[in-house]
Amino acid sequence: MSMLSEDDLNLGDMTDAELDLAWDLWFDIAQTTNDWDPPYEHGVLVDLERPYSSASATTGSTRDARRAGM
Amino acid sequence: MANVYFELTREFNAHGPVAALSSGQAVVYYRLAIMSKDGDWIVRDDQNACERVLTVLSDHGARHRPAAPLDTRWLQGGWSSHFEYFDAAGRRIRCDFVSRPPRVPPDALAPMFQQRCDEGLLVVDREALIRLKQTGRAKDYAVIGELARQLDPDREIEWTTDVDRILTLSDEVEAVSPRPSVRAARSGASRAAVVAALAQELDDLQQRDRARLRAYQRAAEAYLEEFRRMQLDTLPLRQAHDEAVRLADALLPERLPEKV
Repeated sequence: MSMLSEDDLNLGDMTDAELDLAWDLWFDIAQTTNDWDPPYEHGVLVDLERPYSSASATTGSTRDARRAGM
Repeated sequence: MANVYFELTREFNAHGPVAALSSGQAVVYYRLAIMSKDGDWIVRDDQNACERVLTVLSDHGARHRPAAPLDTRWLQGGWSSHFEYFDAAGRRIRCDFVSRPPRVPPDALAPMFQQRCDEGLLVVDREALIRLKQTGRAKDYAVIGELARQLDPDREIEWTTDVDRILTLSDEVEAVSPRPSVRAARSGASRAAVVAALAQELDDLQQRDRARLRAYQRAAEAYLEEFRRMQLDTLPLRQAHDEAVRLADALLPERLPEKV
């Protein structure tokens, strides 16, 4: 039995262009959870809970401002 | 639009191989799952490669997140470097680098950086990716199982995290295996015993990785605190990186005092 869902594994049937489009759509949607992401997903700091200042901790308002080019 | 992390990989390697895409985006590349918002690379273990990466990131307006400098003195000690910027669409792009990834022997990395980058995207091979994924996080072990399924049976048996595959392959593959789960299967032990042996293997891997990270995080405390106090993550990248190197010289050990 496969260890990942069919939604994951059907990536194998996609063309390169389809995979790019699927990833890009997912990435757009995934931006909505940025504020809740752990600070590090990889590397040796991955378990740190709150390692950095507000300057790079993207709040919704700063993200919106950046989207607007402000 | 193309995967921004694939495009960045091409940018890094435009003048020669300096950074191999790894971890979550490599899982996307191998068409297993869309599972990571960040980009991770293994950077070639020399200062020219670090310079090239910093140039590309600086051109994108990246900021230096609190982390070790992208400098071989710290990277060779196993530290990781982290950066972030926002693309033209306002999307957060996070970029993480190591040059000495855990569990991957250096001689397994060297051939990657001898490839011609015009032949395709520079991506870690599947077995290196499996080693990278042997983390403290349970979710990575499902990915390992699927990556292993893409290998030949004599290699799959060394990595799979799927008990059904262990039971099947232990009959089909003749090579000796050091894995307790495979040895249990070959000894005629019950399925429950093979499951228990596999669970123990995976827990050992997770605990080992968590202990490794704890050691790094303890060693980084003073450095990160000062990095935050100085707000280096607000500075232009080159300036921030120069400051981070000076700070690391004072506060971040290049290598941990004990082997982890």
